Amino acid sequence: MSNLQAVFLAETEELISTLESALLEFERDLSNLRTVENIFRVMHTIKGSASMFGYENLSNITHHLETIFDDIRAYKRQADLQILEITFRTVDHIKSVLRDPDLSQSENKIRQEQLLANIHLMVQQKDVRTSGPVFADSTAVINTYYIFFRPAEGIFRSGNNPLFLIDDLATLGKAIVVPIFRDALFSDNAQADLCYTEFEVVLAGGMTEDDIRDVFLFVSDTADIQIRHIAEGDLLNDLSFSSAFGNREQIPRTAFGYGIVASMVGAVQAKSTMSSVVAADVDRLGQSTSIRVSSTKLDELMNLVSELVTSQARLMLIAEQKGMPDLNAVSENIEKITRRLRDNAFSICLVPIEAVVTRYQRLIRDLSKELSKEVVFTTSGTETELDKSLIEKITDPILHLLRNCMDHGIETPEARRARGKKKEGTIHLKAYHSGTYVHIEISDDGKGIDPARVRSKAINKGLIREDAVLSDADIIELIFSPGFSTADIITDVSGRGVGMDVVRRNIEAVHGEVFVESKLNEGTQFTIRLPLTLSIMDGMLVKIASSDYIIPLAAVDKCFEVETRSLNGDCSQRLVLDGNLVPVFNLRNVFDEERSGLPITQVVKLNCEAFPVGITVDAIVGEYQAVMKPLGDMYQSQDEFSGATILGDGSVALVVDPSRFIRQLLSKSNIENLNKN
Amino acid sequence: MELASAVTQSYLTFRLDDELFATSVINVIEILELTRITKVPRSPSFMRGVINLRGTVLPVIDARQKFGLDKTPDTVNTCILVLNIQIDNEKLTVGALVDAVQEVLDIDISTIQPAPSIGSRYKSEFIDGMVKGNDKFIMLLNVSKVFSSEEVSILKEGYDMGENTSINQ
Amino acid sequence: MKTILIADDSASIRELVEMTLRSAGYDVLKSSDGEHAIQHLDGTPIDLVITDLNMPKVCGIELLREIRSRADYATVPVLLLTTESQAAKKEEAKAAGATGWIVKPFVPEKLLSVVHKVIR
Repeated sequence: MSNLQAVFLAETEELISTLESALLEFERDLSNLRTVENIFRVMHTIKGSASMFGYENLSNITHHLETIFDDIRAYKRQADLQILEITFRTVDHIKSVLRDPDLSQSENKIRQEQLLANIHLMVQQKDVRTSGPVFADSTAVINTYYIFFRPAEGIFRSGNNPLFLIDDLATLGKAIVVPIFRDALFSDNAQADLCYTEFEVVLAGGMTEDDIRDVFLFVSDTADIQIRHIAEGDLLNDLSFSSAFGNREQIPRTAFGYGIVASMVGAVQAKSTMSSVVAADVDRLGQSTSIRVSSTKLDELMNLVSELVTSQARLMLIAEQKGMPDLNAVSENIEKITRRLRDNAFSICLVPIEAVVTRYQRLIRDLSKELSKEVVFTTSGTETELDKSLIEKITDPILHLLRNCMDHGIETPEARRARGKKKEGTIHLKAYHSGTYVHIEISDDGKGIDPARVRSKAINKGLIREDAVLSDADIIELIFSPGFSTADIITDVSGRGVGMDVVRRNIEAVHGEVFVESKLNEGTQFTIRLPLTLSIMDGMLVKIASSDYIIPLAAVDKCFEVETRSLNGDCSQRLVLDGNLVPVFNLRNVFDEERSGLPITQVVKLNCEAFPVGITVDAIVGEYQAVMKPLGDMYQSQDEFSGATILGDGSVALVVDPSRFIRQLLSKSNIENLNKN
Repeated sequence: MELASAVTQSYLTFRLDDELFATSVINVIEILELTRITKVPRSPSFMRGVINLRGTVLPVIDARQKFGLDKTPDTVNTCILVLNIQIDNEKLTVGALVDAVQEVLDIDISTIQPAPSIGSRYKSEFIDGMVKGNDKFIMLLNVSKVFSSEEVSILKEGYDMGENTSINQ
Repeated sequence: MKTILIADDSASIRELVEMTLRSAGYDVLKSSDGEHAIQHLDGTPIDLVITDLNMPKVCGIELLREIRSRADYATVPVLLLTTESQAAKKEEAKAAGATGWIVKPFVPEKLLSVVHKVIR
């Protein structure tokens, strides 16, 4: 494949994803001409480059589809769900045509002809719009403004009438006007010829801020006037916003003020999912200076940075050995630069989770149709960034979890109503940073996981014994066991081969973890925890017997020195650290090394579980930037080590995965305690 | 004139205790002197640990243990064979710790005898065949099978680990 | 029908304003100076006054002050015809209670839109 063609394919894929998110936005508000404009523009670009690169079939079908949207934006036809449906189908088709430009597969060829016929029919049937345009100026960009207007009390004495001004304002576009009667109106000293009323207005339309200012021309220096742009597009279309702003108890005495209105706008935008924001971002991206870089080049950059970090460690070791102050200074400087270069290269490879959210929205939209379930999909924190290679690897597991929510979690509207729930189910995707981890939560308000059902299923499948004593949480965990599926009927959606065990395996393959919590009839929450990056980590280098280990710095709370003779040599014991009794694991024992002959042993307090845990090491060498290397398939079962790294002297140190390691230690010590009892 | 010239294949021979083994040179990437091996705690004892092979982490397997021999201290002759092996269509690189590397032999494949199904200490699936060297038999190993196996040793049942005598001696 | 009082010493402007306002359906009273304009404040219902600033005898600001001082005309909107160079006068006029202003030269549409701002 030629380089240019690869660029074309990458660009088109990106355009398709933009198109999909614009279509989802369009679906929510068919009258939004701005979205139509967007859709038309993207189609037009796809069409143009497709014909340049010889993708005639792609160009052809896009051309015809584009005609429909051209008509809508020219007020020649009304947008309807039928158009939306065929557009979605065509977009799906376009994706296959990208891979099969000559329609060599008969199913693609047939689909192309069917769609073309449908589109032709639709183009011919266009019903001329009889009603006038929604907004006077079709080329104008719609904006929503908040206006606060408090006339001078003596406004009447200048012959101005505030009601006329408000009236003028309302003629500029769509407006909700809330008059506010100030307390002074009700006081005994109130004068009939003074104005005690102020106004709060939300105005939407194609006007500019200057148009609004013009209305107040004659009172601008005597009145208190605030004009704030609060949103792109028509916010008054959002019922929850307009009713929150417009419907207040009687006539209010005080205004909301810009601050409150702005936070209402924020709430609306968070609620109405990300896609409109995504669209806005695309617009912004167009303006910011950015360049497209192939991911191979980024990988190459990361590899070079990794090599640099390793070489720098060697340089530092040599500088220390030589004891030359000049060399030391240079080495320290290079260390600083390396660290910055590393952080920089990392940030280049970070992608906001938002980038994949459109795919999820699309999935949920399609599934809710397919399963006849009504679902509101909301997201928050999708600006959270994650290494691009990680995003690629968790996209499918998340898709699968969402499928699972749709299929097993959310009930049918009837079942929901019978349980006294809103008929629309909610699925929420939330992402956030926590330490060196990124958490992604997927929660639904569906029927939850029934431990009793899981239990009987697990017994049927021979996963547990009939008399097994397990907590509900342990039972729910069984859904991750290989060969487990709670669906009684294998549906098309999540019962197709891939089970939750695969989800867990795929997430664990990138050193992530997945947990589940569920309450019967209330809902289920899956939490995915991922490391920020897979390639380089800030760690603490420690020694145990003759071996070196790296502990991620983020997991280290504090270090303590204890006399070695105070350790009893058992695998674990409790020690008082900072006034608290903390379980401490003797790693010389755990790692089958001889007992330490050193007088002093270091205890590293880690907090990565619900409670702090200590581990003993012989010595703490210092901080170390660990370039992560896989331990390889041979050591798959040693998952308490997330990998290895090469030290300055060329030897290998193992990198501890603290949470897995501690979980193993705790379960081991539980077993030992049981044996003792 | 002979109908067919002898087809030969190159084998690298190595020694474990007194026994000679050979692997096709196709599998051998390089031979390393013994370097410091970082042990991985709580792994099977035949997994000696990992080494740094020019920036990648290479697992090292103790061939002696795989072959059911006693643990002996490493010597100056001890070295690591870096081998390409194949597990389920996946290529893997491993290091094999052997007592000493002997030589590269060109073996006429017509002289290769099938591995004896009885009388051998080793499970037959690990042995591709054997040839007669100077005065000894050389076992031709299927290194992919030997080093990918999760079994501790490739000894047949009944041959205990560390047992150094063979029944048919 | 709304009645608008025009006060301007320039006959051409008076005519232009009158024509424009009448075509928009307003009733028009005319004065060529402030003194004459004051004579119209005799109980005749007036909905808007449009006055020039510089006029012989009683100037625009004096007329404005007179209007604001009459209880029955105090809240009648008063628009001033000004030129760009009369910024200082504008401040004075505003302090005296002017409703707004129309900057000369103006087109008929502009006049009507400003009038519409202050009366309906």
